[in-house]
Amino acid sequence: MFYLYLLIALSLLIALLFLTPIKHKVWVALAAVATTAFGLAIPAIGVLAGSRQVTLLHLPRTIFGAETITIDPLSALFLIIIGIAGIATIIYSRGYLAQYLTKKSSTHISLHYSSLAILIISMMMVVISSGGFSFLFAWELMTIASFILILFDAQRPEVQRAALAYLIMMHIGFIFLVAGFVGIFSATGMGTFDALAICFSGEKTIPLFIVFLIGFGMKAGLFPMHVWLPEAHPAAPSHVSAIMSGVMIKTGVYGVMRVLWYIADNAQLHTAGVILLTVGIITGLWGVILATLQNDAKRLLAYSSIENIGVIFIALGMATLGYASGHHVMATLALCGALMHTLNHSLFKSLLFFGAGNIYSQMHTTLLDRFGGVAKHMPVTAILFFVATAAICALPPFNGFVGEYLIYLGMLDGVRSDVGTLYCAAGIFSLALIGGLVVMAFTKLYSTIFLGSPRHHHVAESEEVDSCRIGAMAIPAAGIILIGLFPQFAINIIKSVASQFYPAAEKTIDAYIIPNLERISLTAWLLIIVIGLIYLLKSRAQQSRTIEQGPTWGCGFTSPNIRMQYTGESFSEGLESIATTLTQNTIEGRTVGKSEIFPSSHNYNIRHKDKIDRLFAAWWVELLRIINKRMMSLRTGKINNYILFALLFLVAIFILSILNII
Amino acid sequence: MGIALNTLLILLTALAIPGVINRTRALLAGRKGIPFVQHLRNVNLLLHKGSVYSTTTTALFRIAPAIYIGAAIVATLFIPVADLNPLISFEGDMVCFAYTLALARTILILAAMDTGSSFEGMGAAREALYGALIEPALMIAFATLAMFCGYTSFADIFAQEQSFNLNLTIVMFLVAYLFIRITFVESGRVPVDDPRTHLELTMIHEVMCLDYSGIDMALIHIAGWLKSACFAMIAANAVAATFCFHWWFATPFAILLTGITIGVVESTQARNKLVRNTTFIVTISALAALIFFLGYLLQLDINI
Repeated sequence: MFYLYLLIALSLLIALLFLTPIKHKVWVALAAVATTAFGLAIPAIGVLAGSRQVTLLHLPRTIFGAETITIDPLSALFLIIIGIAGIATIIYSRGYLAQYLTKKSSTHISLHYSSLAILIISMMMVVISSGGFSFLFAWELMTIASFILILFDAQRPEVQRAALAYLIMMHIGFIFLVAGFVGIFSATGMGTFDALAICFSGEKTIPLFIVFLIGFGMKAGLFPMHVWLPEAHPAAPSHVSAIMSGVMIKTGVYGVMRVLWYIADNAQLHTAGVILLTVGIITGLWGVILATLQNDAKRLLAYSSIENIGVIFIALGMATLGYASGHHVMATLALCGALMHTLNHSLFKSLLFFGAGNIYSQMHTTLLDRFGGVAKHMPVTAILFFVATAAICALPPFNGFVGEYLIYLGMLDGVRSDVGTLYCAAGIFSLALIGGLVVMAFTKLYSTIFLGSPRHHHVAESEEVDSCRIGAMAIPAAGIILIGLFPQFAINIIKSVASQFYPAAEKTIDAYIIPNLERISLTAWLLIIVIGLIYLLKSRAQQSRTIEQGPTWGCGFTSPNIRMQYTGESFSEGLESIATTLTQNTIEGRTVGKSEIFPSSHNYNIRHKDKIDRLFAAWWVELLRIINKRMMSLRTGKINNYILFALLFLVAIFILSILNII
Repeated sequence: MGIALNTLLILLTALAIPGVINRTRALLAGRKGIPFVQHLRNVNLLLHKGSVYSTTTTALFRIAPAIYIGAAIVATLFIPVADLNPLISFEGDMVCFAYTLALARTILILAAMDTGSSFEGMGAAREALYGALIEPALMIAFATLAMFCGYTSFADIFAQEQSFNLNLTIVMFLVAYLFIRITFVESGRVPVDDPRTHLELTMIHEVMCLDYSGIDMALIHIAGWLKSACFAMIAANAVAATFCFHWWFATPFAILLTGITIGVVESTQARNKLVRNTTFIVTISALAALIFFLGYLLQLDINI
């Protein structure tokens, strides 16, 4: 009953938000989210520590049937992820929105904060709903809340466009999910996830699985349904991008994992595994190549989220393939990798978006070529951003490495035991390429923003952000470092989730994964000690030497200037020459020709657009528009016409049923 | 005891390879050439010099050499010398090895970009691209080893001499060949990069450290040797495992194999045009995939 009261209290609290003074709205939102997060974290931690599952609440039968609010290990893990990122986001938003408090109306701010709280709470509801109706309700609530959040800067036309595109794509996904649940309902008479077990024992497992994959993939950003991400993230305020990119797209991953769990037949699991692996590889590669080519910090981060979803799906595919072949060690390793990477990505991606928010609030742009040398003005942001950059590049001793290590180990284990060797090889090859390109994308991002000389006078006017934002960023940063240094303890978080999927997982984790992670931890410490020692020795040695300061060596060129620095575009030019087929470039101005001995001034602007975007501007979209226009003539606005339509509809149904067509 | 010897031998390999390269080149060019230990003297000289730091740079620039060499040192600790044991060994240490080297690469790229020089940006951008494209070759080469030997750590893969087996010998030789090719890219040698070039526009590795001087430069040089030594030793181990699996064979073999190959290639080939480098490196990755596939077929024992 406690949770029912909690739900009522939350609704009241969110209503109260509209009445609080503008400066204190953030605390009300934080109170709402924190209460939910802690209220659910206590049973969640209990579930992760051992007990199988806890049913918190039976929903009213009249609306929801036999559905319950239940926490099992999988939902518990996602609850923890959402809780941490949610609280960090709200704390961060206090600093980020401070400058808007005078510009926007009180209602506007209230709407924003209430949507933020609703988004976080509805995500938690998504992962603990056991059945179709409550799940779809929470899912839709999540979409609408995030839609309102994207619209924060609604006076900008590109924001409106992005938000609308987002809303439309999410509803296409929603239709697939509804179709999936209707499929379950018609087959079993129940709308819960548990009924999937019955459905999947039948013939039509894979088609139903694909319907769910499309529905959830729309949210997760699977290729080719990823196009909303790079539009919506730059449009949204940074803390919203952080929660959407770090956590919300993971609800898609959650959905796929949930559905996957119910497939029991090995042959069908195998097919599902191949599908997941293929989708993962394409999404990962597409995401990372496009990420590297972007010249806008937030677009780059958005594409990198797509890439990370790809990595998670590669791991999920590997796990499924391993399990289908009865090779439990490989399955466990890859699954742990997928779960670990989900957790890790939520930490470093929110930190990266927070960092992008810091620089945006100071310089009012996210175009890479407007920055340079920001590290000198915003040193703390630079350090925190570096931690996240290193983590997303999967470099030891940070957390990203732990996840990728587990995924690689799973695939190498498959290779050596001859389980789906060629699939594993494909996975290793693409993961390695993805890993390499991520380094390229993020060295580009980090160096054009934080390093070098300022390319724009805005940089000189920037200063470090308030401690509230820094404090919020410290939360994910601490997670990144702790998981990186003590992976053997962090693995315990996902242990019971893995054993929920594969009963043998617990033994594998205890006997095989933890000893290896202990060595990883030792290596990480060794790395830190060696680096620290060398730096110390170097500094001591340098005390007795002459250390000078001077301008950067210009290679004999007498008048180098700041404009000659490598820009983001020039950094990725090498990759661009290979990957031209993936993008559609719009070029304004022209480059300096080879025959120009004394070049005049030139203006050159290039944008790399995703080729998949064209899919959404093709003839069929135009056709839909025309049809829509025709249909609009039916919308007369006269009530008698509408009654006529209703009557016609009833007659049509009547005739069709007489003719035995429906 | 074995572990200490192992570490010492890798260090020895790292220090000796540049000497062998220089001697080979001198011999082939008919010059008297520089002494064998000249590179050590150069580094020693650098270690005793002061430094100049650019005013554009941040603290990252000063820490970077320590991270670069620290990562290189930790990477060498994974590598066994034939029958000896390395200091660190666990399942999947090959992944850790690859990513430790990636850490080294990343930090050097960032340090180069920190100077705000267009030349160093050039080098950094190239290094980032080539590093990304060579990564699949490295991981697939490791996967080939894992597939054939059934282990995922270097120490287990190179634990004992394999009984003679034609298939294994073929694959091991191919893998060794692959690692030599990877060494060309990873340590910036002809035909990918030319450490002796004097034109900054065509440099890759050298141009990234233009602003380093004194101790920092020395550290970067040493780290480069260590990196090459790792790959040289893996290649030598792969060959040694098939017929003479002892440290006293593997060490000189690693030094001579890599040193002479690089020396010969540098004396006889011109470096690639920069646009050709991508093709060159993608070819290595494709080759790696091909070798993996060949290994897979051989392992299936199909009579073709």
